[in-house]
Amino acid sequence: MDVFATNFKTIDWIIVCVYICIPVVIGIVVRKYITQLSDFIVAGRSLRLFIAIATMTGTELGLVTVMYNSELGFLHGYSAFHVAVIEAVCIFAIGITGFIVYKLRELKVMTIPEFYEKRFGRRTRIVGGTILALGGILNMGLFLQAGARFMRGITGYADPAGLKIYMSVMLVMVLIYTVFGGMVSVVINDFLQFIVLSFGMIIGCYFIIDKIGWTTLFEIPSSADAAAWLNPLAENSGFGPIYVIFMVVLSLSAGALWQSGTLRALSAKSPRVAKQLYAWSSVSYMARRVIPMFWGIAAFVFVSQIPELVQAFQGPDAVNSQYGMPIFIAKVIPSGFLGILAAGMFAAFMSTHDSYLLSWSSVITQDIIAPMKKEDLTDKKRLLITRICIICIGIFLLIWGLWFEAPVSLWNYMAVTGTIYLAGAFTVVVAGLYWKKASSTGAMIALLAGLLAILGIGPWTKGDDVAWYLSDKFIGAMTFVIAFIGMVAGSYKFPDRNKEEKS
Amino acid sequence: MNWVLLWKAVLIFTLSAYSILVVIVLFGGIKNLKEMLDDLSSGNKEK
Repeated sequence: MDVFATNFKTIDWIIVCVYICIPVVIGIVVRKYITQLSDFIVAGRSLRLFIAIATMTGTELGLVTVMYNSELGFLHGYSAFHVAVIEAVCIFAIGITGFIVYKLRELKVMTIPEFYEKRFGRRTRIVGGTILALGGILNMGLFLQAGARFMRGITGYADPAGLKIYMSVMLVMVLIYTVFGGMVSVVINDFLQFIVLSFGMIIGCYFIIDKIGWTTLFEIPSSADAAAWLNPLAENSGFGPIYVIFMVVLSLSAGALWQSGTLRALSAKSPRVAKQLYAWSSVSYMARRVIPMFWGIAAFVFVSQIPELVQAFQGPDAVNSQYGMPIFIAKVIPSGFLGILAAGMFAAFMSTHDSYLLSWSSVITQDIIAPMKKEDLTDKKRLLITRICIICIGIFLLIWGLWFEAPVSLWNYMAVTGTIYLAGAFTVVVAGLYWKKASSTGAMIALLAGLLAILGIGPWTKGDDVAWYLSDKFIGAMTFVIAFIGMVAGSYKFPDRNKEEKS
Repeated sequence: MNWVLLWKAVLIFTLSAYSILVVIVLFGGIKNLKEMLDDLSSGNKEK
């Protein structure tokens, strides 16, 4: 069997092309609703519960999410499900308690660094904003590459140049409508994408179960380690206790403070809606992981049954494991529905990109450039800077995606780059909201400690026999610990003597 | 611990709960979307 053989036909191309025009048209049409910066960034803080759930899921269920979760399932089997369970429990806990998000929404901030300034002063805001933008942009550095791999796998475009072509075309599409529409177009498209993709994913599961068989899906493939396939704490699972602890801290911090998700809570109509949003979204957070992981597991079961495919995914010239799921669904899902699924995935790609581009560019404008300027920037100037930033980040994504290959799995790359920002932010925001003695020096140390996480994507993390202290999961977990110690020690050693000095 | 049973339960729960959520959000979201656009065009928004 040809590795890139696909059921993707002309009709599927037509469906995709028609569908991807819709977000661009919406982006242009809703321009009339954008009259001020808060309309562009937080949709005038007018989001009600159900539309907020749709847009939060639309953002957090991107094509890259589907790719990294399916890769986890493809590589680690059902043991990967523990990441989904941990995340859903953390999101639900945030929803029930209102931990962080309720207070942040009450404060009416538009970005997390804005809170840094309110609590710790302008300098903290600029440093925090810079680290947030750095971590965030690095984190989305492989979105384009992963998205293009999906489209290449599903359409069966075997030519190696296909990756570059897909990346370029997809980037141009997403830039056009993000630059024009801002948050209002993002919200409308997220809703559309949520509906199409959700139905597509659920029906996709039906096709997969029908093709492979429910019983076969839960039989352990002969090429997999039986214990590691099911148990995340097993020795060869690729996870282990440190990883599980890292996931708990990461899920809690990312759930409450990942700018693109938190932006939805900050856009909510009221603090109460922000809280409810998290409780309801725990289901969609679970689904965004479990369903793609299940597809990845099914892909591995399917591949292990066909010698040509087993050979293609092994050895020095093996096909990247991210191709496992798209190559699989391209073979088992019938034409027509495959087009709808591809369109839904492409929409997911666009909705995640637009939200992230909007998040990071608004952070650069609001939290780095504007605070550094002596005179106050007008809304018009801020909008212009935000749009220029969106284009610059887009160009970076293209360059980074073309030459950088993650030394670890896509999810682990995302987790570690996310930690650059989250380790410091989580410590600083929690301390800032709930600990009176937290000082600006402690905050600065914690934020800078987050930079240690960059070590987690170095070449020394690559391979099967990496020393435990050089592994990405250990570096990630330790970054949180160091940031926490830095915050506490810095606050006790260098307390804020005069709060007036901060502003 | 029966891992197979646990992961089967997780999968079935996710697919069922998510299907229900999608239907609820579909109907509730359309209503919310209209209200949001009304708010934005009338200037009735919190700043």
